[in-house]
Formats: sequence, C-alpha cells, structure tokens
Amino acid sequence: MKKTGFLYDKRFLQHQTGPYHPEVPERLEVIYRGLEQRGLLSQLTIIPARPAEDHWIEAVHSVEHIRRFEEACLMGKRDLDHPDNQICEETFQTALLAVGGILETARRVMGQELDNAFCAVRPPGHHAEVNQALGFCFFNNVAIAARYIQAEWGVRRIGIIDFDVHHGNGTQHIFERDPTVFYYSIHEHPTFSYPGTGREFEKGLEAGYGYTLNSPVLPGYGDEEYRDSIEKDLVPAFDRFQPEVILVSAGFDAHEDDDMSNINLSTSGYSWIMNRVMGLAERHAQGRLISILEGGYSLSRLPELTCNHMEILLKG
Amino acid sequence: MFIDQSMIRKVITIDPEAGIDEAKEMMRRYRIHSLPVVSADRTLIGIVTDRDVRSAWPSDLFSVEEALRQKERSAELKIKDIMTADPVTVSPANTLQDALLLMQKIHVGALPVVDRDGKVVGIISLRDLLRAFTGVLGIDEPGMLLGIVADDQQGQMKRIVDAITEERIRFGSVLVSRHWEEGKRAFFPYLFTHNVLQLKKKLEALGFTFINPLEWYLRDQPSKINKT
Repeated sequence: MKKTGFLYDKRFLQHQTGPYHPEVPERLEVIYRGLEQRGLLSQLTIIPARPAEDHWIEAVHSVEHIRRFEEACLMGKRDLDHPDNQICEETFQTALLAVGGILETARRVMGQELDNAFCAVRPPGHHAEVNQALGFCFFNNVAIAARYIQAEWGVRRIGIIDFDVHHGNGTQHIFERDPTVFYYSIHEHPTFSYPGTGREFEKGLEAGYGYTLNSPVLPGYGDEEYRDSIEKDLVPAFDRFQPEVILVSAGFDAHEDDDMSNINLSTSGYSWIMNRVMGLAERHAQGRLISILEGGYSLSRLPELTCNHMEILLKG
Repeated sequence: MFIDQSMIRKVITIDPEAGIDEAKEMMRRYRIHSLPVVSADRTLIGIVTDRDVRSAWPSDLFSVEEALRQKERSAELKIKDIMTADPVTVSPANTLQDALLLMQKIHVGALPVVDRDGKVVGIISLRDLLRAFTGVLGIDEPGMLLGIVADDQQGQMKRIVDAITEERIRFGSVLVSRHWEEGKRAFFPYLFTHNVLQLKKKLEALGFTFINPLEWYLRDQPSKINKT
C-alpha cells in the first residue's frame, strides 16, 4: 500500500461565497465525512495547511493581483473582478492556506515522506489568470505547485492533467509558452461551457507549442468518449513527454449528477480515468502524483467520487 | 459596425509599374493575399492578388524551353498588366454587414476602402470581418452559451433577457433561431459567468426548456448514432 497524504484543514471552510453559489464549504465537509465513513482516514497521512510565502504566489501571479485581492477582502468587498468570484473577509487568508498546504504536500511527496497525495482545498484554482480572478478561482494552485517543484526540487518536466469538466484557462495560459510543463485538459466543449477556451487547435505557443493538449467533449457524452480521448490524446502525449511528476487538477463536476455541466461521466468512469492517470505516474514519474481539488458540486456524489479517488491513490 | 472601425489603415500598396517579383515578395513578407495598386497620390487604380501573381508565372507543365520563354515573358510583365482594374471598393462609412454580403456575392477575400476622391484609406479582409464578428458574439471573453427553446410568440426574448438581468449576469450576445421547430424559437445568450444554476431554475419556472446540444447534433443524422 502507498503512503498517501490528505491535505485538509477546517480553515478551508472559512471562505464563504454567499447565497446561490455552488462553490460552498459543505463540499469539503461531505468529502471529509465520506472518507471517515469508508474508514479511509486512518490509512492516510493528514496534512494541515500553512500560509504560503508571498514569493511562491509571485512565481505565478502579479504583485498587483495579490495586493488587490488582499485589499478587497480587508475592505469587506463582496467579489473580486467579477460577481462569480464571491469573497469574504477570510478569503485571502484561506487562499494563502490552500497554496501553502499544497506546497507542504509537494515538499513531502518530493522528499519521499509520501508517495502521493490528494489536496482537498478551497478556493479552487485552475481558472485564475496571472492578473485576474476568474470562475471562483483566485490563486492558481496547481500552477504555483508546478513552479515550486521545478524551483526547489530540481525537476524539469511536469505533467498536469486537468479532468475538471471546465477548461483550465488559467493553467493553460500560464504555461502555454513553457515546454517544461505539459498541460492536458479534457472538458465539456467550449462552445457550450465556461470559460469558452480549450479547443483542439490550442496547442501552446512559441517554444511551448505541442506542450498544451485539449480534448473537448460534446455535452451529453460520457464514459466512452472520455476513454477514447484519454487513450488517443493523453496517453501517447505523456508517453512521449515522460513527466517526472504528475499534478492533477481534479474536478468532479463531469459526473452525470453534477448540474454544473452536461457531461455524463459515471462514478466508475471517474475511477477508470484515475486508474489510467495513476498508471502514467507509475510508468514515468516513480508514482509521484499530487492531486488538487478544483470543481465538483454535487454534495451527494462528492463523497463516493473522492473516496474512490483516494483508494486508487492508496492502491497505486 | 462601420468599416472605418475594423479596417486596416496601414495599407501595403504597390505601384502599377512594379514587377511581379516585387508583388510576390511583398505578399510573402507581410503575409497578405492582395495589394491595392495605387498611383503616386494614392488614387486606387486596381488590385492584384496572389492568384493573379501565380497565374502570370509559368506552369510546370511546359517543356523546359517553353518554361524559360514564359519566364522571360513573365519577368517583363508589370503589375498593371496582371491587376484587376477598377476593383469593387467600399467606403469607410459602409457597414460590416455591407462588406460581409458583398464579399459573399463577388467572391473576394478583401476590399479596398477608398474615400470620396478615390484615394485608398484602408483595406478590409475576411480576417478583419471574422475578428469583428467574434467580438460581436462576445466569445473573446470567458463565458458560456445557453440554448433556450420558447414558443413562437411576442415578448419571449424580453422575458429571457429580464431573467438574465435580474440575476445580474452580463452577456455578450443573443443569437436567435427563428424556426427552431414547428411553433418554436430558440435563443442562445452567451453569458459572461460561470454560475447559471439560479438563472436556469428561474427560466424553467417561466416555462422555458433548454436545448441538449447532443440531441441537436444527432437530430438530423441518425447515422451518427451508430458511432456514438
């Protein structure tokens, strides 16, 4: 059995998004309770959060963005940049804790204290741009983790797999010129789904051309189409790229019962994907995989989806 | 909506006395497909396209001697010999819709824009039109498309837009399909938000239904179903 870390901190619940917003603290509470009920908590190494140092946030975001975010929270504003991005006084601190917790998790995986890990964080990150909050996201958690691992652990090639049902525009834009970070995303087709990017022809820019890969899936499709795209697009691309570490933007909103999308992945479809992703980590990255929560809004399905996710990490 | 706002002002032009090689080189360097031909005072005389240049060049089908003779002849040709004289033009006060319909009608990829005196002030190409209409759709900003079916009666669009406004959602465009099904219209607002759960509930309560894109894709082509 693997040594699997679980980043969870009650302070992640402090980020409040107000009424009529799907990105709620209960998401993490049901995940935690689900793991508890399935008896998985005792098999995991629970990692508490700590605030990230500014310079790691600045490895991805502009100082102006960071200060504007902090100021908006201190001033009691309700949102940052767009009404989608609801904030409260504690949101900035919570976002710092999420990033810091992820970096602590990465430190333990890279230092071989752990084999792999799942980070149940809020707020999510993959829509956040260098200088703009977007789609419920403020700091791009996965992007900061990638830069940290490269800078601190002498790793060159990092593979990011984003199976959130929405395209990770922020992550793509941050690395689109960078041939050392391969960004793969599978998501609902951008003509119909937020944020409207992630088409097949977006393949990276300049030196990074060929290191971004998108598999859009039409709304209404599910397991079979995901399986086809992952076998046809992701697996050969990562076999060529040979990532030394794999980071996962784990969104569970492609599930058929999640009303934030019209993609119909089943629970077993999700497990199939994660098994395939684990296989890539074993083959190329010595099993080093850090999974970071993005979306996933069905409070009734999140427990089973994250429990299965954990069991796959534990099994290796 | 006016050509003046979407045209390219720094027009690369060519002299009627220039050689074909020069046109070829300019098209390559600036990656463009047509050059307005102008006199010294920038009065439009004609237009020369990459197709005109290609046609003036010898084809590989000729024998070696014939090709050489053709090449000499081509080398003597000037722009004025191969250009289209008096090309169709538009004015800066014409609209993008004018340009769109005109390009469709006369099958050209670019139109010179001239002022009242016939002087070249810009050029508008299909590329510029595409950019303008991408902006009109709003799809250069983050958002998502909703497909809504409504009974074909007056006031439906107002009810939809009112609901969107009440939710304080900004939108980039609303496309309308007037004949979606018998007695039905379809509306496609492009919404600048990641959160439409509340709006969808509201619209459903108002009696609207949503389009399932996959059913739409498969609707007229039962053959595709086998594949899926």
